[in-house]
Amino acid sequence: MTADKTVVVTEGLEAKSASRLSVLGFFMALPPMLLVICFVGAPILIAFTFSLGWTEGPNRVVSIIGQEIHKKDHWWGTFSAYQDVFHDSRFPGDLRTTLLVTTISTTMVLVMALGIGIYQRMIGGRLASIMTTLTLVPLFVPVVIASWAIHTFYAGDGFMRTIFSHFGIEFPTLTSTSTAIAIGTIWTSLPFAILMVTSGLQSVPDALIETAQDAGAGFFRIIRTVLIPLALTPIVIAGTFTAIGIMGSFTIPLFLGPNQPTMLGVEISNFFGAYNRPQQSIVMAFVVFTAASGIALVYIWANVRSAKQSGRI
Amino acid sequence: MTEAVQQDGLVLNGLTKILGGRVIIDNLHLVVKKGEMVSLLGPSGCGKTTTLRMIAGFLIPDKGDILLDNKDVTTLGPEKRPSAMVFQNYALWPHMTVFNNVAYPLKVRKMQKPEIEKRVHEALALVNLMHHKDSRPGQISGGEQQRVALARALVQEPDILLLDEPLSNLDAKLRVKVREDIRDLQRRLGITTVIVTHDQDEALSISDRIAVMNNGKIEQFSTPQELYDRPETEYVANFIGSLNHVTGEYAEGQVISGSAVVGIRPEDVHFSKVQVPGSFPATVELVVPRGHFCEVYLKRDDVKLRAFISSDVPTAGTQGFARISKALIYKDGKLVRVA
Repeated sequence: MTADKTVVVTEGLEAKSASRLSVLGFFMALPPMLLVICFVGAPILIAFTFSLGWTEGPNRVVSIIGQEIHKKDHWWGTFSAYQDVFHDSRFPGDLRTTLLVTTISTTMVLVMALGIGIYQRMIGGRLASIMTTLTLVPLFVPVVIASWAIHTFYAGDGFMRTIFSHFGIEFPTLTSTSTAIAIGTIWTSLPFAILMVTSGLQSVPDALIETAQDAGAGFFRIIRTVLIPLALTPIVIAGTFTAIGIMGSFTIPLFLGPNQPTMLGVEISNFFGAYNRPQQSIVMAFVVFTAASGIALVYIWANVRSAKQSGRI
Repeated sequence: MTEAVQQDGLVLNGLTKILGGRVIIDNLHLVVKKGEMVSLLGPSGCGKTTTLRMIAGFLIPDKGDILLDNKDVTTLGPEKRPSAMVFQNYALWPHMTVFNNVAYPLKVRKMQKPEIEKRVHEALALVNLMHHKDSRPGQISGGEQQRVALARALVQEPDILLLDEPLSNLDAKLRVKVREDIRDLQRRLGITTVIVTHDQDEALSISDRIAVMNNGKIEQFSTPQELYDRPETEYVANFIGSLNHVTGEYAEGQVISGSAVVGIRPEDVHFSKVQVPGSFPATVELVVPRGHFCEVYLKRDDVKLRAFISSDVPTAGTQGFARISKALIYKDGKLVRVA
């Protein structure tokens, strides 16, 4: 009987200790949760209600200051601000430029990162190491400095045009074009993408590549059927991070891009500040957010795929 | 080509490999007959895996030739060699099903789909894994993964099968089963096989011949029985089985003072309470049960001997007589006499 009591007492102590631990864990997780709720979640929710015409409460002051504010005409709000934006002649061009620059730059970044990563993984050597190190340099150059450097490089009176004019060739002026934005975003996005892609490719065990070689596969088949599929998760994650970063970029399109059409990051700033149309700028922000959510779904898919492959789910 | 030996099967002729300024393989010669199963046995770092990787084509020797069925394959890459290798950690592609893992070499050879299906099914049936053909490698056990790796190698119908410590990741019981499976398959298919292992039990139980390696060289290349009964060097005698070392000379069943080394297998040491010709007085110091036999530590003056005794096991402290039925006498590490 004494033994039984001891067991009961021990179980009680264990349960108490477990519950104390779970309370402690909850309080440890609480500060970051509160931070996210207060400084990310709440502003998003308030901004969303504002875009639907909720102009009272926390949105009252901005509604008074801003121009062309639409107030809700149903219990849930109104889509008038959305209609405004989608009927604005500038928006389709901005959206097209944003999506085009994002797609082209992300593709270029991935192609370059894969090229360097595969070269280092499959061939290696000093040259590969030097190339990888060089591609990481932009990581340590502030975006605003890089933008200005690119500007002076490709401007009408810039380095490239000067050099080419010596040979009687007219090099195109790339500043204030979407091409310049693409060059700038590739410059800034490449190092991080290379870090992710290279580490993904390096993590593929040698034995898996050697087995494919042993089975008779050539260089490109090994890359296509073994290396890329096995490193697909970090490659996709690098792609999604790059795309989301480019889609929301501001400094590079502001310095290097055209006035119109421009990328939505700059246009949102214009609508919010210069045009004093905060409701429309928030609508644009939600459009970018929706597009970025689509990219985030790809990120989630990649993680689920990785978890399935490793048998975690 | 230096003095190539005309022989079907595998011929390694004076192989030398230097890695990082260190000689890993030093003028190695080996002939594996067609259909034979040969083990490269040795401790870690002796060069056995380097030798296997040179046979597979992952490393190119600095000197020497590799001949396969009289064809020089020394400089061919692994994708061009008629060999198939099974790696230590199986190296199954986790993103492919078992079927696709086995089918991969055939797809590389651009075979027709029905032919691929037929051969993959045959290979999977051979290793009893048809029921797992749609599973991923992560969903099957270690032993099953090993069999998939074997099926993937066999489906290529290679001239030579190379196995790099294929059983080292398996638990003891499974290891015995899979090694029997491998031996059985190898015999049925009559495929020339080279297996790398550091496990002497494994080598002794499945090989036709064993090459014991040390410092990038082959110390002895013989049948398992000959290796055990007549190890040509002290190193081999130590590596294969257990051995009592006594410094001295051996005469009339006794170890007397001298400069040679007398090696005595513990099963060749006998103990009885009754004195017989050639025996000497000894005391039982310790008895360690080892299942179907006991390891008995005997002491004679300053000499200690281990004996494996399976019946009439004495207890510690028993005084009696020890007798040596066979001794290997080494001078400068080389076998000079078996007495």
